[in-house]
Amino acid sequence: MRPEDAEGAKPAIAVAGLAAGRGRMPAFRDVTFTVPPASLTVLVGPNGAGKTTLFEALLGLLRPQAGSVRILGRAPREARRYVGLVPQSARLAHEHQLAGREFVAAAFRARRLGLPLARRETALAVGEALAAVEAQDLADRRLGTLSGGQRRRLLFAQALVNRPEILLMDEPLAELDPAAQRTVVGLAARLRDRFGLTIVFSTHDVNPLIGIAERVLYLAGGRGVIGPIEEVVTGEVLTKLYGVPMEVFEARGRRFVVQDDAVMAAAPEEVAAAR
Amino acid sequence: MNWPDFLALGFMRNAFATGTAVAIAGSLVGYFVVLRRQTFTAHALGNIGFAGAAGAQLVGFSPLGGLVVTTLAAAVWLTFVGARLSERDLGVGMLLMLALGLGVLFLNIYSANANAALGILFGSVLGIGERQMWVAIGVSVLVVVLLAILFRPLRIVTINEDFARAHGVPVELVTLAFMLTLALSIAVAVPVIGALLTFAIFVGPPAAAQAWTRRVGTGLALSVVLAVVQVWLGLLASYYVDYPATTWIAGLSFAVYLASRIGRPMGAAA
Repeated sequence: MRPEDAEGAKPAIAVAGLAAGRGRMPAFRDVTFTVPPASLTVLVGPNGAGKTTLFEALLGLLRPQAGSVRILGRAPREARRYVGLVPQSARLAHEHQLAGREFVAAAFRARRLGLPLARRETALAVGEALAAVEAQDLADRRLGTLSGGQRRRLLFAQALVNRPEILLMDEPLAELDPAAQRTVVGLAARLRDRFGLTIVFSTHDVNPLIGIAERVLYLAGGRGVIGPIEEVVTGEVLTKLYGVPMEVFEARGRRFVVQDDAVMAAAPEEVAAAR
Repeated sequence: MNWPDFLALGFMRNAFATGTAVAIAGSLVGYFVVLRRQTFTAHALGNIGFAGAAGAQLVGFSPLGGLVVTTLAAAVWLTFVGARLSERDLGVGMLLMLALGLGVLFLNIYSANANAALGILFGSVLGIGERQMWVAIGVSVLVVVLLAILFRPLRIVTINEDFARAHGVPVELVTLAFMLTLALSIAVAVPVIGALLTFAIFVGPPAAAQAWTRRVGTGLALSVVLAVVQVWLGLLASYYVDYPATTWIAGLSFAVYLASRIGRPMGAAA
């Protein structure tokens, strides 16, 4: 569903005038956007722009310093069971010897105390989640033997096992080769189209999502801009956002952000780091 | 009652009952210890407990009481100080060092108890009295109940901590609860297997079980079976061949470990 189709529909995520951060200084302020249901929004920005902070605010783990966050019309803490997070896989122990289905099952109603005695229900939910990301073949594989792309699939399945309506994906393309990146982007699009999930997808590079994501939320310089990729990832908008002259070149349908003759793949932290 | 030959004596019955209880609770907790890569922590808790036991004896308290109090205190300390994975071994090792330094001081002051100290360090399962047996059984039951209550949050915190935190699982609270459960089970296992040999119950059987099965439920069950069989065979062997039970149990645990490394399915390495 394109954003224009969703006009008038109740937004899945509504953020108004948000300022949030871990320390005293917010990572960003005055960020306002809405995300319609069954849509895919890319979240980009350099390191430290507040992508993780924004996710924490959406999950109700961080109190806004100003502004408001509504998830499906509720406060984030009350909407928790409708939101799934796919965390960065870099922090997973690589040597786990458990089967894929155990990894997914562990997330099923994990906040409840006591033994998981509803075995049939668990098996059903795990089976559905694995099928949604076409990972049935990973059910009995040991985690430690899987490739980066396969692990990403299981992380998706884990986040889906409690049947959320909104899926937040934290850098799911990190450390993947281009082929695996395409597969992961395709999976996200499929979850939106077939299951009506609302997806917010953070990444360093918008290019793999051009033509797939409806919108981009670009965080930089303590602020954020949201809109279609072709309207946001432009020299004019990014110059305002960063407060320094920025240029965007297009080649073969990809966009490259440029600052002072240094070329970046749509996210400028390499340059920032080099300075 | 007609006891079989090896159970005719009271102290053997105490040893079997205590050893079984400790093996069940210890291998269940140990399954998570191995999954969480906290084997050094488990080892250290036993040795820190040794210092507590020696200190308690010195001031005239029960060594078991000293064990329980110090392992619990160490568990709280280790949960909150040096809890970051990258620094965990450092934090555990330094506390262990301090505890052992104090332990040797207590022994030095009260050298009459060198034999008791040996019993704590290497286990004295055949010297367990009836009261101590009931304490060990009671604590083991408590440990199993606590684990059953904690099971689901503990499993997700162990498998994917970031996911757990994002979905509102109180990660620190779950970790603390697990560390206290571990400390309790270590404290009652030390007199049985010895502070220096907690690996025999807490690490050997669960590590072998995890090499042999990729399912959590089966792994827990297999862990228990291996630990209990080890303890029973160890006690039997020490009854018929007069070597310390600890030696036999440690040997069996090592044999199980070896078998699990050799008989490992292909592709399961890493």
